[in-house]
Amino acid sequence: MISKQTILFVVLLLAVVGSGIQVALISHRVRLLHGDLEAAQKAQDAHLAEYSRLLLERSALAAYQNVERLAEQELAMRFPDQVERIDR
Amino acid sequence: MKLWRHYVVVVVFLGACTGVAARVVYLNVTDRDFLQQQGDARSIRVESLPAYRGVIYDRHGQPLAVSTPVAAIWTDPSFVQLSEDAVRALADVLNLDARSLTRQLAAHADREFLYVKRQVPWSVAERVRALGLTGVYIQREYRRYYPAGEMAAHVVGMTNIDDLGLEGLELSYDDHLRGHPGRKRVLKDRRGETIKNLEFIEAPRFGTDITLSLDLRLQFLAYRELKAAVAGNRAVSGSLVMLDARTGEVLALVNEPSYNPNDLGSAARAGMRNRAVTDTYEPGSTIKPFTVLAALESNRWRPSTPIDTAPGYFRVGNKLVQDPLNRGTITLRQALQKSSQVAIAKVALDLEPRAVFDVLTRAGIGEFIGTGLPGEAAARLSDQGLGNSVVRATLAYGYGLAVSPLQLAQGYLTLATGGLRLPVSILASQQPLRAQRVFDADLAGTVLEMMVSVTEDEGTAPRARVSGYRIAGKTGTSRKVGAGGYDDERHVAVFAGIAPARDPRFVMVVVINEPSGAAEGGGAVAAPVFGQVAARALRLLGVEPDAGVAI
Repeated sequence: MISKQTILFVVLLLAVVGSGIQVALISHRVRLLHGDLEAAQKAQDAHLAEYSRLLLERSALAAYQNVERLAEQELAMRFPDQVERIDR
Repeated sequence: MKLWRHYVVVVVFLGACTGVAARVVYLNVTDRDFLQQQGDARSIRVESLPAYRGVIYDRHGQPLAVSTPVAAIWTDPSFVQLSEDAVRALADVLNLDARSLTRQLAAHADREFLYVKRQVPWSVAERVRALGLTGVYIQREYRRYYPAGEMAAHVVGMTNIDDLGLEGLELSYDDHLRGHPGRKRVLKDRRGETIKNLEFIEAPRFGTDITLSLDLRLQFLAYRELKAAVAGNRAVSGSLVMLDARTGEVLALVNEPSYNPNDLGSAARAGMRNRAVTDTYEPGSTIKPFTVLAALESNRWRPSTPIDTAPGYFRVGNKLVQDPLNRGTITLRQALQKSSQVAIAKVALDLEPRAVFDVLTRAGIGEFIGTGLPGEAAARLSDQGLGNSVVRATLAYGYGLAVSPLQLAQGYLTLATGGLRLPVSILASQQPLRAQRVFDADLAGTVLEMMVSVTEDEGTAPRARVSGYRIAGKTGTSRKVGAGGYDDERHVAVFAGIAPARDPRFVMVVVINEPSGAAEGGGAVAAPVFGQVAARALRLLGVEPDAGVAI
């Protein structure tokens, strides 16, 4: 006949072993997630760097001095000095 | 029961205990230093993660200030002595002088932290990492770029090397833009390199972007024309403010001299003052439209009421008010058009003592604006001495008070909106406008119509005219106060205008400080700048011509 104490002992033993395994699993998962987070942050950094670079590049290329120079010199456009109306 | 088994167990245990004790003594005494050092070196540190600073945009989404990630290279001279080869290799990659770097390292040999170079592009930092030097570390930081450069420098401002706002909106909205750095706990090895991230204590919170009401296209135009005018008139400085007549937003705000926030030379400091906001001037004749408005409000005056200005001067108390020539009898409208001191002073003396002051106060002149730009000057406008007729007469033509160009623009805004006061803002406004009626719409409209005559051929500022549009405005020329009273040599040329006169789109104030060229006065110096900028701005904004058009 198994005593009550033995049953309690076995149950507690299983609980201890189980939570021990859980601790190991969870810390493993933390490590994995940590890795993911790190990778995500790296990617974010790279995207930010790229984004700011592109923003600056766009504003440099589309600077109004530039646009005006191109319009006047390469496209031979001019600014009308009188109001002119073009009827179609 | 055999006794020997008992003794065997006892002996084995004693032996084991002795062994452990001996090992403990050995580690504690003999190996102590080595172990201590190893333990310290494998320490746990908390590192800071810098947060990305928010971007500043103009109203159309053009970036005005952008942060990009860069690297700072630092070393710990107290911990590692870099070899000569290492210093040379490092100096080579970072484009530094090897000898001065060696000197610098030697001079700070007891320090635990020394920047070798800051604001290094990441590509260079990777090459430093590839050198594999012990005791040389790479830290992340941000560098701020200002694509609009000197065009928008006074509004946007700048940050210091540690990414903190120093000037302009970078300073006043620093908390907003800055974000919050994060922290993480890391395990570092003996060489100080991070070997393992233990946990993120706090993720960095990025700064918030802000969108300004500025229109970079108008800002560019305004800066170019103002710069040319300041150089052409050999002036000390100049400012230009453009406000949206429908919303009260600042569309352009420029000053010359300016500075390049991307490249701060030693000369840059001089150009840092945001004069449109921080400097006050006596507005001179640009105040006259408000005097005329006060006259119309009294119901005793109409645009056609005649005023006798002969013989071109008259005495108020001990002060002589004079016009450059005897204009005889002119109407109120002509008084504004020709900017007659005599006529305006006579009008002011005919009105209630507080009438002009009251109109100026309602227009918001003399009130703090609170745009958030640092160093905003308080206007000087006081009701002291209004009982004195000299004070009343001089106030009517713009002396005895001082306003900044932005405050003058705010005052003209009430004329452009038909008597409504709008809050002036430099941020793109999201909330519905809280307009406040301060003048009767008809009277404000009448004054605006009268101001159109100023840019007609007989007026003082035909050069502010834009073909195809009717422009309302007023010139101002005020003598600067020198050591012995008003200085005849130095003056401020002002033009404040509203375009187009019917259904105004913007208010623009041009101030040229101390022009010393051939041209003199608001009509010859400031009005042409208005004309140039307005001509382009009206078309950029797609405003339909409102005057007779030659096709």
